[in-house]
Amino acid sequence: MTAVRWELRKLRAQWRARAVLLAALLGPIPIAFILHGQSRPPKDSLFGRFATENGFALSLLILGFAAQWALPLLTAIVAGDIFASEDQHGTWKTVLTRSTSRSGLFWAKVLVACSFAVLVVAVLAASTTTAALLVVGHQPLIGLSGQTIDPHSALRLVAASWATTLPPVLGFTCLAVLLSVWSRNPAVGIAAPVVLGLVMQLVGALGGLDPARQGLLTTPFDAWHGLLASPHFTGPLTQGLVVCAVWGVVTLAAAYVLLRRRDITGG
Amino acid sequence: MTRELAVEAHGVTKNYGQLRAVDNLSLQVAAGEVYGVLGPNGAGKTTFLRMLFGLIRPDAGTIRILGRTWAEVGVRVLDGVAGFVESPRFYPYLTGRQNLEGLSLLDGGHPRGRIGEVLEIVDLADRAGDRVGGYSFGMRQRLGVAASLIRDPRLLVLDEPANGLDPAGIRDMRALVKRLADSGLTVLLSSHHMDEVEEICDNVTILRQGTVAFHGTIRDLRGMAPDPGYQLATSDDRRAAELAQAPVTVKADPEGGLAVSGPRADVVTYVQTVVGAGLELLEFVPTETPLEALFFMLTGATRGPEQVSAS
Repeated sequence: MTAVRWELRKLRAQWRARAVLLAALLGPIPIAFILHGQSRPPKDSLFGRFATENGFALSLLILGFAAQWALPLLTAIVAGDIFASEDQHGTWKTVLTRSTSRSGLFWAKVLVACSFAVLVVAVLAASTTTAALLVVGHQPLIGLSGQTIDPHSALRLVAASWATTLPPVLGFTCLAVLLSVWSRNPAVGIAAPVVLGLVMQLVGALGGLDPARQGLLTTPFDAWHGLLASPHFTGPLTQGLVVCAVWGVVTLAAAYVLLRRRDITGG
Repeated sequence: MTRELAVEAHGVTKNYGQLRAVDNLSLQVAAGEVYGVLGPNGAGKTTFLRMLFGLIRPDAGTIRILGRTWAEVGVRVLDGVAGFVESPRFYPYLTGRQNLEGLSLLDGGHPRGRIGEVLEIVDLADRAGDRVGGYSFGMRQRLGVAASLIRDPRLLVLDEPANGLDPAGIRDMRALVKRLADSGLTVLLSSHHMDEVEEICDNVTILRQGTVAFHGTIRDLRGMAPDPGYQLATSDDRRAAELAQAPVTVKADPEGGLAVSGPRADVVTYVQTVVGAGLELLEFVPTETPLEALFFMLTGATRGPEQVSAS
């Protein structure tokens, strides 16, 4: 646990981590105002048709948009840097000559990166939904099957929808960890998961690749759609959990082995 | 009675691809002694120290530290050991004190006030609240020593601690290492400065291209040392060279003047002869100490600007 406390202390001192949290907290406010002020709502996007007149719909519209690249980016800013920054500063030899093992340091960093990802999603979800409801209002929501959802249930479903992004966000966190360990370069650790996410979306949009699409890390970002249908369906959620778990285990195992076997020669 | 060993390396070998960085290295550092590992850049000193700290794995051989090995106890092998490899590195966005507090956390904590004590020892207490990003090279070296001392080590491993420092920094660092050595700490010091090792160490291993070129006491080393060398320039170098008699040897220096070597007393007599012959003495300076000359002989290193500036 002392290694976790050390990693948290370092994270608190980094302006980048604070900037991400600040962006997650304040970013949705102007977006809510801008979208609310649109004369023509973005009808082509899910819940876009109602986004200018319903706060719940606006929150879900932003969720769909954030899942495309913002969530992978926000988590990668910390996870993609957390290992590679030790290479950048030449500090592996500083921390690995203390009384904490490589394994201890590895899991401390993974835990802190994952905790940060959860915190960012929570802040972004809370800020987005609060801003959308305050700016647009909390009228009953029209679901994906055309059903009317009362505000109380709508709030619960919107919160649940944001929560369903946690598995793929954590999957991207683990992917960023692997790229951070492998590349030893913070720029690669941060940018590569976002680029890979966009490539996955592109592959997912191609026809005739359904089996491959199921295994992509971006597909579970759409799993919340089932919560807004009537009746609810949770198959994509379960499948997404399995896919994200596999991505997480494989990427973390690879990162762990890479770090354990590595000769620390630089810095 | 067997002496307690702080470090015992046996047959240690490390390859980087085709390059053999350390080749079958064996050495023993007794508890309480100040031990020097000497060699030119690329001789394998830092590679050996990295293996000692577990930063890289040897391809063959074992390193026993304070009686334990990495294979036996994992990271606990570093209990009682501290130091740094190459120049110490820290988090530039944290202050000196925050860096030490963090490293202390990784050690599982230290007695309250210990960080303040070590900052005083290395003379950094006044700057402890500044971010390390603004520290000079010398301050970072001293912070590296402080980071080592908070572990209250029995074995202190310092990799070229005076490297990159200005003359005042070198003087201060050597004084600090001497003070620490005098306190009874076992010190394993790597260097490519012969005078640094000569001044501080009891025993020395000289490495050349990963292999041991010499192993023994500083006294043994002095016994092997050749005669000192001098640079001589006169108003008539050809005539001055003719005046030389054994055991003094005089050669034309490619860079001008004469290279003179021989026992100190004989060289003094020779110079008196040169002056007595009416030649004007333009320059007479020592070029290298006997131990430096031996170092260059043993390691095959060429005399570079760093050696010149340090001597």
